[in-house]
Amino acid sequence: MSAASFHVDLDERGRKHLRLVGQWSLRALENDFSQLQQILTPFFSDPFIHWDLQGVEQIDTAGAAILWEGWGEKLHSNVTLKPEHVGIFSMLDQLTHPPETKVAFKLHNTLSKSVARLGETFLNFSSHLVDFVQLLGLLGLEFIYLIKRPKDIPWRELSANVYKSGVMALPISALLGFMIGVAMGYLMSKQLRIFGADIFIVNILGLGIIRELGPMLMAVLIAGRSGSAMTAQIGVMRVTEEIDALTTMGISKILRIIMPKVIGLTLVAPFLVLWTSCWGLLGGALSANIELGISFKFFFEYLPQVVMPVNLTLSLIKALLFGFVVTLVACHFGLRIKPNTESLSSSTTSSVVASITGVILIDAGFAILTSGIGV
Amino acid sequence: MTETKTVICEVRNVATQYDDVVIHDNLNLKIYAGEVIALVGGSGSGKTTLLRHIVGLTEPSRGEVLLFGENLHRLERLKQQRLMNRFGMLFQQGALFSALSVYDNIAFPLRELKQFNESTIRKLVMHKLALVELEPQHAKLLPAQLSGGMVKRVGLARALALEPELLVLDEPTAGLDPDRSEKFVTLIKQIKQALGLTVLFVTHDLDTLVSLTDRVAVLADKKIVVACSLLELADVAHPFVRNFFQGVSTRLMRA
Repeated sequence: MSAASFHVDLDERGRKHLRLVGQWSLRALENDFSQLQQILTPFFSDPFIHWDLQGVEQIDTAGAAILWEGWGEKLHSNVTLKPEHVGIFSMLDQLTHPPETKVAFKLHNTLSKSVARLGETFLNFSSHLVDFVQLLGLLGLEFIYLIKRPKDIPWRELSANVYKSGVMALPISALLGFMIGVAMGYLMSKQLRIFGADIFIVNILGLGIIRELGPMLMAVLIAGRSGSAMTAQIGVMRVTEEIDALTTMGISKILRIIMPKVIGLTLVAPFLVLWTSCWGLLGGALSANIELGISFKFFFEYLPQVVMPVNLTLSLIKALLFGFVVTLVACHFGLRIKPNTESLSSSTTSSVVASITGVILIDAGFAILTSGIGV
Repeated sequence: MTETKTVICEVRNVATQYDDVVIHDNLNLKIYAGEVIALVGGSGSGKTTLLRHIVGLTEPSRGEVLLFGENLHRLERLKQQRLMNRFGMLFQQGALFSALSVYDNIAFPLRELKQFNESTIRKLVMHKLALVELEPQHAKLLPAQLSGGMVKRVGLARALALEPELLVLDEPTAGLDPDRSEKFVTLIKQIKQALGLTVLFVTHDLDTLVSLTDRVAVLADKKIVVACSLLELADVAHPFVRNFFQGVSTRLMRA
């Protein structure tokens, strides 16, 4: 057993012979084929050299492929092989000339490629749209079914979802709300003091947190926290055929898996928004107290006078809407997961990205529609 | 001889097509009450797809599948649910609910019925566990803690939970060592005798086939080329069947 190597010698007629010796296979661990290929490159381009492989102890497909590529994918007459090595090269020969297969389209042109890519994106998007609408329709049908047969309402799953995506999210959303409140309050205080408009901190923080930041923070949080978990869970259930097992028991997956998530999170979202906003205001009040010396008592007494109650209503409506959209998007992506790890990871990512994007778009639309209300 | 038997499941002129790939074309199959019928065929010949059509997970592109005389997809929901409780399915990988313990997995279909209280369910689950020869202490394990053979047995127990008339098994012995798979086959035989089931199963394992089946349905060339007893296979001229029978006959002689 020796590593692959070669030596060059000249015969009496001045012809160059390149003699390969040793083990030209992956089994000889000392071999480095990329290095060998590099060293051999000048010889490959020499048409008058004679390749003598009779000293080769063993050659495998990897070693043969290196030589084969160097020779321009054909066996020249200046190559001498051991008879037992002929098979491996004729096998490679068949590989390079595969039997004619039908290829639907081959696009060489970059323009047509980009058009094709655009078309694919569009088709992909429309298939998402169709599936999404279908999911919405199925949910609607299940809803009607439940009204007719309230006995079948999945209470257990519903309460499990309220607990998992609502109660368990309380600490983190409190922390997040509070920190954002503190940071906002601190920055605003600095600016407002310049104009001596200290008191307006209550208006700005009140309106900003209650109307915008509270729902938005909550939506981002549940998209990252619960949405991704839902997508992954549904995906894994699909991969392990658990959903099929449910179906063969005559149990609707929409009713038992999707519906409790959608309703659970939609119902819990307004409460989460209230909770997050409260902590945000608390953080803001703390900053205002430290920076501007506004007392907590004054802050919370003055707040209802400057922020109209309708803002709270708007915020809660937004919360319902965001909760609904985030869950629906999460379930939609979960149901599209194919049984492989790549699909699982990319769907989970797309689920979070799509739901946050969706929520921001809806928020922008909402802001335009309600621009005359409450400010 | 066939007219005296009741047909439990009938596959009528079924065709399946995904885009350009035709999987089944004009496929017919009848399954009679009380028999053990095996579905065999090469890899990728659409055995599992046919099984999924039969249990109503998918709908064929053309044709229809009648289960207990009815087309699952044409029924209204409650009837559909009731019909689906009349068969049990064991999936290839078991498809146990990974979040639930063995006990809860078997109890799941029973709880769904909403007809029993917990103490009755307990008895029924324990009975099913004993039926598949699992110990009571296995009941609290999670599916991830089970070996491959145990997963199949729990899956079988779950499929049997509602005392079905038809048992559908997708490769029941795949992934089990010969000893285990023999035990599994014996188990299915015992259960079949005890409960009077009709069994439809897909297999690649000739030993399982020879020791379990009354009748074999051979899926090749996109249709059922023949459905008959193992011995009758000898007279079939189809190349796949002839090749297949060679493997069977040596085992038949041993048996």
